[in-house]
Amino acid sequence: MILRIFVALVISFLVAPLLIIVLFSFHATASLSFPFQGLSLRWYAALFEDAQLGDAMLTSLLVALVTAVATLVLGMCASLAWLRLGGRARAAVEAVTITPIALPGLFIGVSLLIALALFQVSLGKVTIIIAHIVISMPIVMIAMRARLALFDTMLEEASRDLGANSLYTFRKVTLPLIMPTLVSAAVLTFAISLDEFIVTGFVSGTETTLPMFIWSMMRRTVTPMINAISTVILIATLAILLISSHIERTRRAQSLRARESE
Amino acid sequence: MKLSARWSGWTLASPTILFMLAFFVFPSLFLLVYSFWKASSFQITPAFQFDNYVRALTDELFWRVTFNAVIIGLMSAVVCMAMALPVGYYLVFVSRSRLLEQIILVTWFSSYLVRIFAWRTLLGNDGVINTVLQSLGLIDAPIEALLYSRFAVGVTLIHLYLPYCIILVMTAFHEIRQDLIDASRDLGRSQVGAFFSVVVPNASAGLVGAFMLTLIMTMGDFVTPQMLGGTTGQTTGLLIADQFRRTGNWPLGSAQAVIMFLLVVLIFVAVIVAGRTLGFIPKRRKQRAV
Repeated sequence: MILRIFVALVISFLVAPLLIIVLFSFHATASLSFPFQGLSLRWYAALFEDAQLGDAMLTSLLVALVTAVATLVLGMCASLAWLRLGGRARAAVEAVTITPIALPGLFIGVSLLIALALFQVSLGKVTIIIAHIVISMPIVMIAMRARLALFDTMLEEASRDLGANSLYTFRKVTLPLIMPTLVSAAVLTFAISLDEFIVTGFVSGTETTLPMFIWSMMRRTVTPMINAISTVILIATLAILLISSHIERTRRAQSLRARESE
Repeated sequence: MKLSARWSGWTLASPTILFMLAFFVFPSLFLLVYSFWKASSFQITPAFQFDNYVRALTDELFWRVTFNAVIIGLMSAVVCMAMALPVGYYLVFVSRSRLLEQIILVTWFSSYLVRIFAWRTLLGNDGVINTVLQSLGLIDAPIEALLYSRFAVGVTLIHLYLPYCIILVMTAFHEIRQDLIDASRDLGRSQVGAFFSVVVPNASAGLVGAFMLTLIMTMGDFVTPQMLGGTTGQTTGLLIADQFRRTGNWPLGSAQAVIMFLLVVLIFVAVIVAGRTLGFIPKRRKQRAV
């Protein structure tokens, strides 16, 4: 019983600040405190009139899209390789792809900045995307490792023994088995990229992404416009997570059913 | 057959490995090399000298912010663990509620800046907490120390990294078989007793990992101190970040980053030693003949 109350308290500690953000995004006045003085959508309307915000949003969406696709391709290569490699080689692949999750963004950002400066790479969208792929790779690899642990390489071998060439085997056997996990991981990557702030700040040059724009807004003023854009982001994140877990679950159920019916 | 599988394995792995080598492994190692380079007024020249380290370690400000970073980081990570252990236990061994798991995931993925902003508005002078306390008549004037202090930084960091910590703790708990706990309960242990004598020692590696990763994140975060730390809550992370943003002595910043990395390793060793002496981490078992 005590445990249950404790868990409830912790969960409300996690959720309450977010709910308060959402609540005040609908506030009729610029005040961010109680008493609550009526509802209004004026802060959402203000978002649409801000051209700079629109630009930042477009930059972020582009970066997130490229990051997600690139991570999907690189993650696919790595997981196919993972299946074919022995214990020690697997550990090596995991070491270079998963380690970034155990390092603070500061460390990754600073070292990437120094390396880019060494080769005089100019900073911009491309370097932001590179940084985002580095940060997202661990998520994809952790998801894939859990999925591939259940993967039966015998299926690939059987397909080839039955005369299928490797391209056909890949398309008809391997890909359907790993795709749901890859896609759901790529969707998560999209969310991570959209929200990334720490590393981006070091490698962005003159580009402004959505989080960087929000940061400059936060430093200038305290306005419920920040609450409104935050609420939009929270809802987008929620939607992305739902999509991701939905893809993973339905596609896996489908492939299980398909396997049973064969 | 075996040989060709390995060959095709490496071929397939190569794009990913090359990418990570170029943009993650090489930069990390280069940071170490770079920390020995020489920065004079306008130029950075390759060298092998300890000036940056000497300069970092003899700077009073560096010690002050590092002390802050360690205190804030340790406190936040300890509180995170104190909250994550019961929650993780509940979600793995008691209820397995998918809804709660999803809520934790959503908070982990919900925007980093939004959460910092939330705490700034909550803790501010005319923020929610102060106005509510005032209207209840509990305080006369707003508590100014709520914002721009170590406390504000600590609370926000806990909120930021608690979901991460819970997920790691749950991963550690998933390794433990339920029958071990049942056995200990059958032998008369209380729930709390079983937790400390069975769950903690068996999951110790994962739990130390969870604590250390949370500590690394809370110590390394520099945005929260910048937004909520005021003058008393500055940390090493912020000092390092500023080297790369404003004053621009990159080799010095690299040296500071390396020192911080070594500090984390030192804390890791201390945690292991403390855990062994207190008995939470089992000493390496000797093979016993039965």
